Amino acid sequence: MRDSDNRIQRIWILAKHDFLQRYYGSSLGVIWAFLNPIFRLAIYYFVFAFLIFKNRDPDFVLYLYLGVMPWTFFAESTKRGMKVFNNKRYLIENIQIAKYDLFIAHIVSVAFALAFNMAIYFIFRLFFDVELTLHVLWLPWLLLNLICVGFLASITLSTIFLFIRDLDHVWDILLMAMFWTVPIIWDQRVIFDHYSFMLYINPLTGIVINIREVLLYGRHPVYDLLLYDLAFTLILAAGSLLIFKRYAKYAAELR
Amino acid sequence: MLPNSDDMDVAIRLKGVYKTFNVRDKKNDTLRDRLLNGFSVSSKREIIALSDINLEIQRGEFIGVIGGNGSGKSTLLQIISGAYVPNSGGEVAVIGKTLRLSLGMGFNNELTARENIRINASLLGLTFREIREVMDEMIDFAGIKSFENTKLKFYSKGMRMRLAFSIALYSKAEVLLLDEIFGGVGDVAFRRKANNAFKTGLLKDKTVILATHSTSVLERFADRVLLLEGGSIVSQGEPRKVIEDYLAGLGEE
Repeated sequence: MRDSDNRIQRIWILAKHDFLQRYYGSSLGVIWAFLNPIFRLAIYYFVFAFLIFKNRDPDFVLYLYLGVMPWTFFAESTKRGMKVFNNKRYLIENIQIAKYDLFIAHIVSVAFALAFNMAIYFIFRLFFDVELTLHVLWLPWLLLNLICVGFLASITLSTIFLFIRDLDHVWDILLMAMFWTVPIIWDQRVIFDHYSFMLYINPLTGIVINIREVLLYGRHPVYDLLLYDLAFTLILAAGSLLIFKRYAKYAAELR
Repeated sequence: MLPNSDDMDVAIRLKGVYKTFNVRDKKNDTLRDRLLNGFSVSSKREIIALSDINLEIQRGEFIGVIGGNGSGKSTLLQIISGAYVPNSGGEVAVIGKTLRLSLGMGFNNELTARENIRINASLLGLTFREIREVMDEMIDFAGIKSFENTKLKFYSKGMRMRLAFSIALYSKAEVLLLDEIFGGVGDVAFRRKANNAFKTGLLKDKTVILATHSTSVLERFADRVLLLEGGSIVSQGEPRKVIEDYLAGLGEE
């Protein structure tokens, strides 16, 4: 067996158990991976469509869903990713393993849930009057961009967390703030009309808007945002890899 | 002195390895601590864990490491496994995949024995097919048949160690680092199994480094023993002689 095959096997088995472990002990097991986004969506819809915005446009459900889904992936990947060095110390200390593989496995395990959510969207949309156009072909690119941002943020946060233990609390607060900078539950047209600077505060904004453009509205993505997100990801990659290369080697020593 | 050798059979080579740890008496790792103590004189102390280690180990050699608590045995194994980084200037070269066995060995407490075997054996180079083929043998060797689907958090120390040892035997790790594997395990059956594994050549072709206080095991199985004291190798060579040095240091005969 070639080493690259073995590496894929290693990453796969780590990701699989990481994913399944989240549902161990619960009676419904992996079914929660489906139920969680559905219930979350139902609650958001009830609160915003009936109590706050009174927007009962049926498409608003899909609009919400396509905001919640990428955001949940980003929040999950970074919150769990920050603890990878801590949670996988038992492996780092005892078995020679490339540290990048731990993070690739982590992001793959979170991406399983993203794939579930995506599948649910495609089932959902059958009940709505939403046209699917060829622009859907942009979707893999947008999801790849999202996964890269989650991966890079994870390796950076996990490395910094080795040195600063308050980071998880700080990150919780930052996530809460970032949630409101992304048009997840509020109307994204407000950004274009009044607050265009917000497009560039958070890379998730561009990703969420473009996912809706190609999936919900059947239009081409906003190319400016596409390029901005690519540039942001490349800069994040340079910074993350630099920090990781310099400090991740101390992962087993710092506690 | 490090032997000047380019021998292809060398599995591990350490040259001028030092390892120090910075220990803070009161941890300064939260933002609050940093804000409150950021400008105060640091209470950081430097602990020398290893000092000028020069060592060459041949492929297939069985090396014993002996020394008192805090002598640097575990740190030496962690340096060889690659978990710890030596101070700048030190060189560590290891040929082949290493596995360190200790009580906490690469196990996930929330997973069952079978799942842990799948993960660990996979990380140690076995294919899914090979794992399937040897899974039952591993479980039998570890003597945990009736607990194979139990989460490891319910396992005793002895059961964990037997499982770890079993995985190590069947793994494709070329270098086994056994860190106090008998420590705290009062399981006679396990000791017998481990001894049998050493004796019957189950570890044949694997390079083994065993850090232990058990002089009898070293005397019976080690090709060479290192005596560590304060992070330095103070004696090495034929097991009986080094063990005598160790016991003399303890004031025993």
